[in-house]
Amino acid sequence: MSEFIDRAVVEQVARLARIHLSEQQLDASSKQLGEILNYVGQLERVTLPDDVEPFFGAIESVNAIRADEVNSSVDRDSILSNAPDSDGEFYSVPPVF
Amino acid sequence: MNSVNESAKEARARVGFDQVTVVIGMEVHVQLATQSKLFCSCSTQFGAPPNTQTCEVCTGMPGSLPVINNQALQLAIKTGLALNCEIARSTKWDRKNYFYPDLPKGYQISQFDKPICGKGYLDIADANGAFEPRRVRLERAHLEEDAGKSIHDESSRGGNSKIDLNRTGTPLLEIVTKPDMRSAAEARAFLTELKLILVYIGVSDCNMQQGSLRCDGNINLHIEFGGQTIATPIVEIKNLNSFRAAERSLTYEARRQFDLWQQCGLTIDDSPKQTRGWNDAQQVTTMQREKEESADYRYFPDPDLIAVSTSEEEIAAIEEQIDRLPAIWREHLSEVYNLKPYDADVIVSQGRGLVDYFREVADQCGDSRIASNWIGQEVLRYLNESGLEIDRYPVAPRQMAELLKRVVSNQLEQTRAKEVLNEMVASQLSVAAAIEKLGIKAVDHDELKSICQQLIDEHPEVAKQIQDGNIKAVGRLVGKARKLNPNANPGLVKDMILKFLGI
Ligand SMILES: [Zn+2]
Repeated sequence: MSEFIDRAVVEQVARLARIHLSEQQLDASSKQLGEILNYVGQLERVTLPDDVEPFFGAIESVNAIRADEVNSSVDRDSILSNAPDSDGEFYSVPPVF
Repeated sequence: MNSVNESAKEARARVGFDQVTVVIGMEVHVQLATQSKLFCSCSTQFGAPPNTQTCEVCTGMPGSLPVINNQALQLAIKTGLALNCEIARSTKWDRKNYFYPDLPKGYQISQFDKPICGKGYLDIADANGAFEPRRVRLERAHLEEDAGKSIHDESSRGGNSKIDLNRTGTPLLEIVTKPDMRSAAEARAFLTELKLILVYIGVSDCNMQQGSLRCDGNINLHIEFGGQTIATPIVEIKNLNSFRAAERSLTYEARRQFDLWQQCGLTIDDSPKQTRGWNDAQQVTTMQREKEESADYRYFPDPDLIAVSTSEEEIAAIEEQIDRLPAIWREHLSEVYNLKPYDADVIVSQGRGLVDYFREVADQCGDSRIASNWIGQEVLRYLNESGLEIDRYPVAPRQMAELLKRVVSNQLEQTRAKEVLNEMVASQLSVAAAIEKLGIKAVDHDELKSICQQLIDEHPEVAKQIQDGNIKAVGRLVGKARKLNPNANPGLVKDMILKFLGI
């Protein structure tokens, strides 16, 4: 497996993540992402017995659940103050269409 | 080349719409009836002032952690059981990544490869036999969180969009069918039956105006042509906001795809899935702008959430809570109460409340046909006009049964009984009080005799017609009897006059 991942793939991932990468950054990411994937890829070479179930998270416990109860929400002024722009009631964003 | 194309086009033009199989699959989003959101304790109450029901979790603030709402899980499992689905013993959460202003986290928490409900089915039929009964297979039903609401500037001056995140994080169950429906009418029947079941088991209010039930339809055509079956490109029609819109848009779309195929011959191999919207004003589907690379959601397991496992005991306990479903009630009303399938459906499709009302009235008055007629006509008319549910209907089942008993025993004639019912509805009176208020008195045998004799004496020409064989003419005398005494029972008057005339 090559050390690098295809630049076209890096460009596509950057586009999906809405990140702009310079030429230099594309080269660097192509190498760094390749190294990460190769490192993790070692796991694929491990032979497992057939009856091992897939493992989806780093925590082994299950069922952290909560009862269906309403607690007070965050005050609107305070939550809207995190937004770049608002009219006091709504978030205001550049037109979508 | 041109002539080859031309002849292919001519051949397509000779194909009739009856050689076409319409193939439809539905995706339905149902808002589950929880008090709080799927992963936080903000309220799900509809109609609150914008952005007053949000918190760090549902707006995706760094460092906040989602925790699953147990009731959402329970309602999802209950729905799955009612829809004959396999229930996952272990289910997990995945992030569906995309950017949109009403999705503050930049991803939606959903379920990708281990949905809470797996394969199931829903049987549909038409009480009037408009189509053959059909089993619609369900692919899956998974839990996910809703997005917020965007309000766009409609002035076309390019003003900013406004975002309300109150709805963000509300629990949705997305139910996906296999492409098993073969007409727009079947799709509508599926939606109607699905909604009925969801309301019967109380997992959602299914209020379409408030967005508690939203549906998308996938449709294409299979056409027998040149000895093989050709499939047209699949179109997804988004955001159908009523069942009528669903039926009309699918009907329109089937025809549009057929016309387009006859013109251009495009098949499923020539074109990717297309998204269209339904324009209700113009009754057409229109092309929607594709989101760039929209299909690439890069699902991956949400590291903030852990798997949920469900035990056999929990599933059995939820199953216990499911009472009889609409299909079982239809059967029950047909078999136990002898109703025709259509009449049973009229009652069952109004919801569980009317089924119980009917059973109580039928049991107490002893005549289920009369109970079904009166409820199907008088009661439903009132409910439709007033927009009320049966639990707010002013006449209690016991009173309705009392009234119908008098109809069954001929103490009250139909027209008079309807007047009594109207009085009971208007003044909330008992049957006896309403009868008294209207001054209805039973007409005794002697008085009935004298009325009939008087009518024959005053109208010898009619009497003669009747004796000459024109039995129908008796109707004119019956009408006049009502004027002499509004309480005279028309059936009894008719019989007595005929008897007097020796017929
Ligand atoms: Zn919240």
